[in-house]
Amino acid sequence: MRARGRTVLFVALSIVLGLSASSLARSAAAQNVDEIIKRGKVIVGVNTTTPIFGLVGSDGQPEGYDPDVARLVGKYLGVPVEFVPVTGANRLPFLLTNRVDMVIALFGITPERAQQIWFSMPYATEAATLVAPASRAVKTVDDLAGLRVGVPRGAMQDLILTPQAAAKKINLMRFDDEATALQALISGQIDVVGTGLLVNRTLNRNDPGKNYEVKIVLRPLHFGIGVRRGQIDLLQWLNTFVYTIKNNGELDAISRKWRQLPLEALPVF
Amino acid sequence: MDYVFQFGVVWRDIDTLLLGAWLTMRLSALAMVFGLIVGVAGALARTSRYRALRAVGHAYVEAIRNTPFLVQVLLVYLGLPSIGIRLKPDHAALLAMVINLGAYTTEIVRAGIKAVPPGQIQAGIALGLSRWQLFRFVVCLPALRAVFPALGGQFILVMLASSVVSVISAEELTAVADTIVARNFRSFEVYLIVTGLYLAMCLAFQAAFAAVHRALFARWGA
Repeated sequence: MRARGRTVLFVALSIVLGLSASSLARSAAAQNVDEIIKRGKVIVGVNTTTPIFGLVGSDGQPEGYDPDVARLVGKYLGVPVEFVPVTGANRLPFLLTNRVDMVIALFGITPERAQQIWFSMPYATEAATLVAPASRAVKTVDDLAGLRVGVPRGAMQDLILTPQAAAKKINLMRFDDEATALQALISGQIDVVGTGLLVNRTLNRNDPGKNYEVKIVLRPLHFGIGVRRGQIDLLQWLNTFVYTIKNNGELDAISRKWRQLPLEALPVF
Repeated sequence: MDYVFQFGVVWRDIDTLLLGAWLTMRLSALAMVFGLIVGVAGALARTSRYRALRAVGHAYVEAIRNTPFLVQVLLVYLGLPSIGIRLKPDHAALLAMVINLGAYTTEIVRAGIKAVPPGQIQAGIALGLSRWQLFRFVVCLPALRAVFPALGGQFILVMLASSVVSVISAEELTAVADTIVARNFRSFEVYLIVTGLYLAMCLAFQAAFAAVHRALFARWGA
């Protein structure tokens, strides 16, 4: 009986600690532009496991399309950027629990996600795709029957394939991040990987001879900068920021540097 | 920004969570059984009179106990295919857990073997016990009895550590929780339920350990 009492006490304590931790975190996060400037730094969540959009560079700092956009945010706010690595699965909780001011982490804009957070206007264009070696005969999602398809957990490819996986006999395997899923493809642990339009270039550089190619484009995507709901001040600033770097050539330079492609026309909303 | 708890959407996924918990329990139980076997073998190697066996045991323990479990998991799943060994995620996870637990168990069981007084072994020899009887009744069981609480603690730790095998797409409890969170974003609710499930599994395993202890050592008056 005493042991049970102790257990109950332990659970109660954990909950209390968890709640107080979340209220502490609340006071640490900036809720608007003034607070960010007053604090003297902007805290940005970036994904560091995705070739092109975000990796860790040789100097240990995040590098890629998204970190470069984050650095421009810092430049125009006039404060240094503090990077926080996030994954596809935890970027939204990180934002909601006030660990970051914003998320710039190949965050595809969807109405489901917009129930939880707000998106800035698109700053990048991409697509959810399926990539496999050239020798793998895959043309439609139906051809995936019996194949091991690896996706980053919670990414768009996961959300699109999950509802049809059972019926189409797809062996859907969810990895914590994209880097592990890509490595699993190279190791032969999966047959097809869910990724973006340009990642096959990186794959072919690291694992030559297989001739990885985009087999299926599941859907086109645009990425937005995610902020907590209700942060109208920060959102308005970010939209102005995106408008500016789209038109002054800075975003085009980032696109050419990381995607080797000029910036396409991006939709606005 | 006050958080509004919504457990309703999470209960819809309780089946998936329970399936994940079931895989965690299966992986952990199998890892405990095989880890104990590896551990006893390792402890015998480390206390062997042959120097080469002692060296192998020592190298195994040091290599595993001084490297992160996550790296061991990735090595088994992503590294072994380079030499032609392709394991499914669940099997790779189990193998990594056994290798990891085996190293810690080796040290725990070795401590137990060291705690057996030499006079007890000499008494066994004097009574004319066979080598197997000597090992089983005079060395192994007393050694396990001496270190039983430490073993139980290590077994619980491997169950909790199993949460990292989600990286290689093994669908254990933490992995399915992450998947659900990625879909409904109710992280606080989901992880609170998952915490409760881990706690319940720990208590269940502890009850099982107590039952095993009674079955093995009851007649010793313990």
